[in-house]
Amino acid sequence: MLCSHCNKREANFHYKQVNNGSYTELHLCSDCARELGYLGAGEQSFSPGLEDMLNEFLGLTKQSQTAGKGISCSCCGTTFAEFKKTGLAGCDKCYDVFARDVESVLSRIQPSTTHKGKIAGPKGEQIQRQNEIKELKDKLRMAVMEERYEDAAKLRDSIKKLEENNGGETNV
Amino acid sequence: MSEWFNDTGMQNDIVISTRVRLARNLKGIPFPHKAGEENCRKVVALVEEALSALNYKFTKVDLSQLTQTQRQALVEERYISLNMAECKRPGAVFISEDKTVSIMVNEEDHLRMQSIFAGYESQKAYDIISKVDSYLAEKLEYAVHPKYGYLTSCLTNAGTGMRTSYMLHLPAIVNAGIAENLFAAAGKLGITVRGMYGEGTKAGGYLFQISNQITMGRSEEEIMTNLSKVAENIIAKERELRTKMHKQKGVVMEDQIMRSLGVLRSARLMQSKELLTLLSNIRLGISLGLITELDSKTLNSLMIETSPAHVTNENITTAMERDIERARIIREKLVKG
Repeated sequence: MLCSHCNKREANFHYKQVNNGSYTELHLCSDCARELGYLGAGEQSFSPGLEDMLNEFLGLTKQSQTAGKGISCSCCGTTFAEFKKTGLAGCDKCYDVFARDVESVLSRIQPSTTHKGKIAGPKGEQIQRQNEIKELKDKLRMAVMEERYEDAAKLRDSIKKLEENNGGETNV
Repeated sequence: MSEWFNDTGMQNDIVISTRVRLARNLKGIPFPHKAGEENCRKVVALVEEALSALNYKFTKVDLSQLTQTQRQALVEERYISLNMAECKRPGAVFISEDKTVSIMVNEEDHLRMQSIFAGYESQKAYDIISKVDSYLAEKLEYAVHPKYGYLTSCLTNAGTGMRTSYMLHLPAIVNAGIAENLFAAAGKLGITVRGMYGEGTKAGGYLFQISNQITMGRSEEEIMTNLSKVAENIIAKERELRTKMHKQKGVVMEDQIMRSLGVLRSARLMQSKELLTLLSNIRLGISLGLITELDSKTLNSLMIETSPAHVTNENITTAMERDIERARIIREKLVKG
């Protein structure tokens, strides 16, 4: 994509803002971004700043990111260092103990980190339906943000129908 | 029904076999590499008990009772993985009476169950393994996460825990020099292609395994549809290139194929590696209609029955003795066949 300001260089700075229902999107090259005041003069690229901003947004300070280092799983004894090194969980509890890293690994290797598909056994159907509802709600959020109101209405109806079939279970 | 390698299946001119594997673990018990011997034995006992009430009968094979050659033979028949054969933990494999389903206990996960068929048969393979899975889910408490689905030792299997794979014979694609690009394109669609015997495009016997990478965020059906689409494109391309190659090379190619048959029928020594190449030529000959007296079933069984552990016994222990025995089995099968 070319920079929307100079129309010459590749855009590597993407800026989106939603304000009182109006939506702004900017695609700029680093030079124009700097010129227009979106980038500090010393910064070559936006990404390091973006990472900090993202971490701040997610409530991850540098300190909390490394906090996992000391923990280990009380069920199987797998330590954080072991988990990081082998990529293997030692038991089902490890998925919760190392939750943040599990989520980040999964999001790198899978298209979505929410299971879709079969869950056999007594509780299977309920979990499956709750996940379906959750996925539709995520899609609804996206549709509203992107002002696709027709799609949003359809999604809302599907969610309603599923929730009714699920015995009024809405807590997902 | 008999072993997959004594059967034919759909699209057997290119697709040797189809396998669907599900990974499952039990709730509250550490995964095999962390379980310790006692827990490992407990898991084997739990699975054995759960299967005992099923109408579909399974035979238990206790791996600790087998010699290394016997384990290797199970690897060659693809009922267990190489990992399982080399594993020191207490473990077992349960094989169904019709030989289509095998359940490895204490491999990387508590249960690795798979269904395997000759040819292009993913639906059939999935239906059977899914039935066994649903049955076991009533008897055993699986480790299931509300968000992540089935939990597995390695995070790359979590979610559906499903890996579907086809073994494909792709000599024309390799010869046309497009294998690398084609496999890289498949990779971008979440599909892995790797050599069955050896790595890269130099895979022995032009045999490749193509399987899904994605296991989470897509349903089993979506994953299988995506894989099938890619597989069918590859299959169509291979067919097209085979015809083209035959037209271009004509009698040179026919000569190579028929000579391969001659060698197999007459040789007194046969190494595995050479056999793979010759079998590949014969498969090509069958699909082009040049060889009519043999079929894919004969070749599949030949491939398995002549693999190293299958030709080893108390009288046959050296490489030379194996090569003699291998050549003998081939002659017997092909001259009769």
